[in-house]
Amino acid sequence: MLKIEDYRLSNGLRVVLNEDHSAPLVAVNLWYHVGSKNERPGRTGFAHLFEHMLFSGSEHIGNNEHFRHVQAVGGVLNGTTFFDRTNYFETLPSNYLALGLWLESDRMGFFLPALTQEKLDIQREVVKEERRQRYDNVPYGTAFERLLHLAFNSEYPYHWPTIGSMEDLEAASLDDIREFFSTWYRPDNCTLTIVGDFSTGEARELVERYFGSIQPGHSFPPFDAQRIPPGHEIRETHPSQVQLPRIYRLYHLPRMGDPDWVAADLLTTVLASDKASRLERALVHEKQIAQDVATYVLPTEAAGMMMLQATAREGVSIDEIEAAIDEEVARLALEGITEDELTRAKNRAEIEYAHQLETFDSRADLIGMMATYFGDPSLIHRWLDPYRAATANDLAHIARKYMIPENRVTSLFVPDRSAA
Amino acid sequence: MSAIRPSDLDRSTAPLPAEPRPYQFPRISRATLDNGLRILVAESHNAPLVSLRGLVRSGADHDTALTAGLASLTADLLDEGAGSRDAIRLAEDIGLLGGALGTGADWDASYVSLDVLSRTAEPALEIFSDVTSRATLPEDGLERARAERLNEILQQRNEPSSIAGKRFAALLYGSGTYGNSVGGNADSVGRITIDDVRRFYEQHYIPNNSSVVVSGDVEPARAIEQVKAALGDWKRGPEPARTTVAPKRIDASRIYVIDRPQAVQSEIRIGHLGVSRACEDYFPISVMNAIFGGVFNSRINMNLREKHGYTYGARSQFAFRRNEGPFVVAAPVRNEVTLESVSEMLAELRRIRTGDIEELELADVKSYLIGVFPASVQTASDIAGRLVDMELYGLPDDYFDHFRENIAAVTKDDVERVASKYLDPDRALIVVVGHAAEIREPLGTLGLPLHEMDIDGNMVPIA
Repeated sequence: MLKIEDYRLSNGLRVVLNEDHSAPLVAVNLWYHVGSKNERPGRTGFAHLFEHMLFSGSEHIGNNEHFRHVQAVGGVLNGTTFFDRTNYFETLPSNYLALGLWLESDRMGFFLPALTQEKLDIQREVVKEERRQRYDNVPYGTAFERLLHLAFNSEYPYHWPTIGSMEDLEAASLDDIREFFSTWYRPDNCTLTIVGDFSTGEARELVERYFGSIQPGHSFPPFDAQRIPPGHEIRETHPSQVQLPRIYRLYHLPRMGDPDWVAADLLTTVLASDKASRLERALVHEKQIAQDVATYVLPTEAAGMMMLQATAREGVSIDEIEAAIDEEVARLALEGITEDELTRAKNRAEIEYAHQLETFDSRADLIGMMATYFGDPSLIHRWLDPYRAATANDLAHIARKYMIPENRVTSLFVPDRSAA
Repeated sequence: MSAIRPSDLDRSTAPLPAEPRPYQFPRISRATLDNGLRILVAESHNAPLVSLRGLVRSGADHDTALTAGLASLTADLLDEGAGSRDAIRLAEDIGLLGGALGTGADWDASYVSLDVLSRTAEPALEIFSDVTSRATLPEDGLERARAERLNEILQQRNEPSSIAGKRFAALLYGSGTYGNSVGGNADSVGRITIDDVRRFYEQHYIPNNSSVVVSGDVEPARAIEQVKAALGDWKRGPEPARTTVAPKRIDASRIYVIDRPQAVQSEIRIGHLGVSRACEDYFPISVMNAIFGGVFNSRINMNLREKHGYTYGARSQFAFRRNEGPFVVAAPVRNEVTLESVSEMLAELRRIRTGDIEELELADVKSYLIGVFPASVQTASDIAGRLVDMELYGLPDDYFDHFRENIAAVTKDDVERVASKYLDPDRALIVVVGHAAEIREPLGTLGLPLHEMDIDGNMVPIA
């Protein structure tokens, strides 16, 4: 069993240590409990732009020196932003643990003195290129954004993706950055997880030395946005620069960790994971009308989502694809699933979880998630329990309760022949 | 606002490291069966997982212009039926064991991978052996794989990075090895027959052209016995001949613009012929490329991304293959800065050839390449991948033990020498997929020959 030590510094920083000497490495991982969910309309994309800024130096570390310090010792690093959180992480040779803590504490405690307009202007351009590269210049790139727009009312912050809009990125000012930092980037809004080859006593001392003097903030702005279910399906057809039509669906679910979310996670394996899964077998392997099909649940904190997509083969109408999906889902809702299907889905969850625990960096990230969303890093020992407990009927129940028209939105991407 | 309590900690310099802890790449156990099959096992018990890898040392390098895509389609068909199981039964049984199967081909080889929970490794090995050596290659499986591939090729027509990669390869290598796509083209894929597939499988999927790697939560002697039991009766065949490449020589740099009127970014590729994996300068080239464009802090990314904000990421790569793969610098940039980006790339190529290399950047990159190795082999699957590379490129068993000293030995003179020898900005292909009406005039000011072609490579008159 993994050895987990979980405590808080007097400034509120949650620290989770998992000592493991199986490789001479250490993973340092910080989850700040802030993401695009904490943005407001007109300032979308801000949490992610901010993540870029946090690599542009702090009082004692020059612009891009964070990257240089880590890479120069053979470390790897990055940061990511999602709806509910922003994470920053590095994996280092284990004798460089202090280096990682020095770097991370400097940007938590000493970021503002190093902030300049020039750095903001450069990173704004980089993020705009990221948006062009991932969303605007590739087929289907805006599908997720379109689904979110359909699925959530405009005041609800899952209405927009973390990348934000070009206009809002343009509008972000230095004052916005300062305010965002002061509000969210503080020890009492962060979980620091360290996994790897260190001694727990020594790590406790180092963490206190580097983070202990950083002051907590005041109260947090409340998150009180309400999702307003429209009570009927919302659909759109979107002509676009694609060769093949594709259907995208989003089904609303309870938040991550809810037993229904777990059952939905297992159900996505039954629906689309390999050639024997329901939708892949019917649409791709047997009828050969679809090029691909995929379903998955998103790890989100405020509200849950199940995504489904399928691409039509050349010459097949998207209506035929949609009808075939609906037929399979209806059959599943009516007849349920077999015990073999349940076993296969549970096996897949088990192997995927084993892979996540296998490396220090992904294990640290998992612990950070459990501490941040569930307040309990010891869930690492029990995460699979609800998966193991799920029954075939629980999975069929998901199809019956959630995979219904009034609980979904649908976006159909079809080739735009007018521009050809 | 004062967010910090006074503290006597000196934050102005990086803390010193503690004593380094030793790292040892797992010991490798080996066996060669009578039929020529080579077996490698690496033991590690960090997770209850086992990675099985099959390596067949023939890939798309055996495709011809007419059969482009054959190696890759053959690999696609491996899980359409094997031994006594059809495609669905294979997927069901692997799912019941808790495994994930993958098959594929690249330029140099074909691959089977099966990652499983260690408690089911033994029955999984039986399925793995069927897929590798007893694939049934049914005709309806080819039709499924063909239709899927043709649709994929169709989709790629709207993907700028895919268009850029295909055109660059075709311009550099023509229609021979490395010049087509591994996946083939619509004509060749439409033409391939089940006999072609079966012949390729029969000639190349033979034990004396293959290796099996087992990595993870296993006991080596037992694993070798199990592989022997599962694949000992696999029939050997004549060793396939090795292929060569016939790149086109270029006497001066030239630009090819491929029009994509809806583009909001230009996909840029600049490069030329590189070296093979067996090149004697492998280590100095690896260090030089890391400085130039191989890591986040490389010159090309610092320049285009962090100094100018032209791109989300710029990089360079030597594709080390069995034969000479390409060297390529790549970035997507917004339309308005296409000329500036190409100019900066060419200028950086010229600069590194002059020997303008700082001791600090050389030291940083070397310590990165040396230090990052343990982090890159944390999993059973990572270790299996390294063993597959060793087998494919004939690296010695102690290769990873000496990797670090080989990097450490690279000097500033070596970097300068290999930069001059292997980089050639005056004889480079410059391929840009973008909105021609916006970028052709600015690119014209470079004074280099400029051609336009469509996404299929047909030359078009300049508008």
